[in-house]
Amino acid sequence: MRYISIFMQYVGQYMKTRLTYRSDMVVELLSDLLFQAVNLIFILVVFGHTKLLSGWSKDEIIFIYGFFLVPFAFFSTFFNIWDFNERYIVKGELDRILTRPIHSLFQVILERMELESMFGIITGLVVMFYAGSNLGLTIEWYDPILFILFVLGGALVYAGIFISLATVSFWSDSRTAIMPMMYNIGNFGRYPVDIYHQVIRYVLTWILPFAFVGVYPAAFFLDKTEWYGYAFLTPFMGILFFGLSIFLWNVGVTKYRGAGS
Amino acid sequence: MAKYIEMIRIRFLMMLAYRTNYYSGIIIYSINIAAYYFLWSAIYGGKEDIQGLSVIQMTTYIAVAWMARAFYFNNIDREIALEIKEGKVAVELIRPYHYLNMKTMAALGEGIFRLFFFSVPGMFIVSLIFPMEFSANLSTWGFFGISIIFSFIINTQINLMTGIITFFLFNNDGLMRAKRVVIDLFSGLILPISFYPGWAQSAMEWFPFQYISYVPSMIFSEGFVGSEVYNAIMMQLVWCLILLVPIQVLWTLAKKQMVIQGG
Amino acid sequence: MDKMIHVENLTKEFKSYSSRSGLKGAFRDLLTRNYKIHRAVDSISLDVKPGEMIGYIGENGAGKSTTIKMLTGILTPTDGTVTINGMNPHKEREKFVKTIGVVFGQRSQLWWDIAVQESFRLLKKVYNVSDEDYNEHMSMVIEALDIAPLLDKPVRKLSLGQRMRCELAAALIHNPPLLFLDEPTIGLDVLVKLKIREFLKELNERYNTTIMLTTHDLSDIEALCERVVMLDEGKIIYDGALNQLKTSWGEGKQIEFHFKAAKSREELNAATGKQLVVWEPGENANTWTANVTNDEDIISQVIGDVVSNHQILDLKILETSTEEIIRNIYEEGVIHG
Repeated sequence: MRYISIFMQYVGQYMKTRLTYRSDMVVELLSDLLFQAVNLIFILVVFGHTKLLSGWSKDEIIFIYGFFLVPFAFFSTFFNIWDFNERYIVKGELDRILTRPIHSLFQVILERMELESMFGIITGLVVMFYAGSNLGLTIEWYDPILFILFVLGGALVYAGIFISLATVSFWSDSRTAIMPMMYNIGNFGRYPVDIYHQVIRYVLTWILPFAFVGVYPAAFFLDKTEWYGYAFLTPFMGILFFGLSIFLWNVGVTKYRGAGS
Repeated sequence: MAKYIEMIRIRFLMMLAYRTNYYSGIIIYSINIAAYYFLWSAIYGGKEDIQGLSVIQMTTYIAVAWMARAFYFNNIDREIALEIKEGKVAVELIRPYHYLNMKTMAALGEGIFRLFFFSVPGMFIVSLIFPMEFSANLSTWGFFGISIIFSFIINTQINLMTGIITFFLFNNDGLMRAKRVVIDLFSGLILPISFYPGWAQSAMEWFPFQYISYVPSMIFSEGFVGSEVYNAIMMQLVWCLILLVPIQVLWTLAKKQMVIQGG
Repeated sequence: MDKMIHVENLTKEFKSYSSRSGLKGAFRDLLTRNYKIHRAVDSISLDVKPGEMIGYIGENGAGKSTTIKMLTGILTPTDGTVTINGMNPHKEREKFVKTIGVVFGQRSQLWWDIAVQESFRLLKKVYNVSDEDYNEHMSMVIEALDIAPLLDKPVRKLSLGQRMRCELAAALIHNPPLLFLDEPTIGLDVLVKLKIREFLKELNERYNTTIMLTTHDLSDIEALCERVVMLDEGKIIYDGALNQLKTSWGEGKQIEFHFKAAKSREELNAATGKQLVVWEPGENANTWTANVTNDEDIISQVIGDVVSNHQILDLKILETSTEEIIRNIYEEGVIHG
């Protein structure tokens, strides 16, 4: 309860600063849209040269992409901590965080949130409805509920992976450039995983489970019954990976060395 | 000159110091290329070739594009932006060297490090796992070498420009992010330019982006042959020269701006 | 509660890499690395009573900041125990930090882009302070620090002195019984320093706040602290009253005489005798300095002897400054007495 009211307080402050620099916000929204467009363009161009991708049609792939954008929007709103190492470890901002009576990760999330990324939810829904209507998909009463569950699960998977990566900085003194590359790996979860070699499939399912933020849950809405098992695993994978990352964080904080001396 | 070479060396050593970066980088790059390999195999789905590229050429193209990226890619735009925001640029300007040249040299040091310790071993590992075609033709390697040097120059020039623009904008983050996305898409890193529809291809002729990644990758995978190679490299050179103009203009304006605002 | 802070055998070790030199060395570093263990804080023990004001001093790298960071729960100790307010700082961090206030002189606690009072409001929420408590306590703080006119300005527009006063206020929003100040007056001008010192004294008297202060500026400590803890290479080399430090280390006093006429050493020795005084010539023949032991009887006797035999224009009694004392201690490295 207290965390919610603190959260609201931060959101209020966030709005105030953002409204002062409105042009920034516009640029950020535009660059987000551009980013989303790039992936769509990739799909469109590729399907300019082929009809099916291992049995999946263009609209199905686009639908997966649309679904992916929704949990990804949650992720980039709250867990976009790719510069954690530079900002909090190297510059020692974590010192300040650790002198306050709120969980340290929660504070970092509050300070780094970017609410405008929420706009991605709208883009995602638009893309999904566009592709869905091309495919003639119908919405059942339970679809919205499952959609929310899968989206939350996916967002937690993403958050779990990136928080775990951020915790590496507690142990290693070096800057890591893994984060940006990881965004790229994340893209592969949006294609039917059966196109990949077993090893990569395994990685995308159990180690860096990006497939749970794209193809697995989306397959449910596309009525691909053979993937239902994985689809229903999504919320559990989310909780598992997020929980794991919190555990790593809590251990990591005790290894924090501080900046300078 | 000696001080610039020293800068290259220092950066090289700095890179070497971050070894977690180094090991994890190779693994992540390999996963990335592997995933692209399978994605493209699925896209080809038994087709002999698309737009004149066979599956094997395509794999080679993607692998080389990513490995070349390790060489030309750098974050000097972010570095410059940060130094401007923290007011360190004024100090840099008193030093007895040209600020932009020094940044370029730092980037080169990083690039050379990644080329030798990252791209070359990485390419070796990847080529063991996936079918790839390495040209037996020495001239192909030579042209590729020349071409990635130009790639480095063009990409660095674009980064310098985005960096300097920080002087005129309060917050440059959005622009830098947009630049990155545009370069990924239009440089031919994720898609060969020849895959785009005709109108898009002719539009892209007017921009320098495809000379960053598309050209060297096509040369290496022998998607370009004969006079195409010469033309492409000539165009790279032309763009290097053209881009000098806006950099010079922006830099002159930026220095004026700094005098007025006090860095 | 009779102890605010109880520290026993507190130790912090850092592992650091030493890189080999040159290119060749750098390649070898890729495969294997040389580790070195560095003891930043070496088995220190310390007890602090509620309401005490303690100065924590030492050279750069002596381990001051590391200690403070362990006491505030930022760093986990390698060994030893810390109990503050009956809690273990790093184990019960979130509960513990509610009872302390921290000011880092070189790091801002406030949000850069928003007005000071917005930062305060955010912190009030973070520390879960009720409106009544906040109003009652903060109105005193705001008035005493004279920051009311700054409250609606964004932090980035404040001068260092203004910001520092706001930082201090921000650290006190929850009225903590224990306050850590790490270099709070660094880079500030004299007036702001005075204001901050005055405020800290008032705070200590009013709420019996325990204050632990690290600083390079010994005048801060002289003005505020009765007790000093001195650190060198991670070890405590002195812990006790500031006065005590002065008497055992301020090896004596100097009396500077300005005579009406030129004097020679023989004339002066004739007046005072050689056992008690060592005379040293000053800038000119009219000025002489008497070095005596720090003893009231001796001092008055020497002054009496000189004045009754020679005509003087002026006389000054010089005390060895704390700064000098501390320099002496660090130069010799050990404490005696």
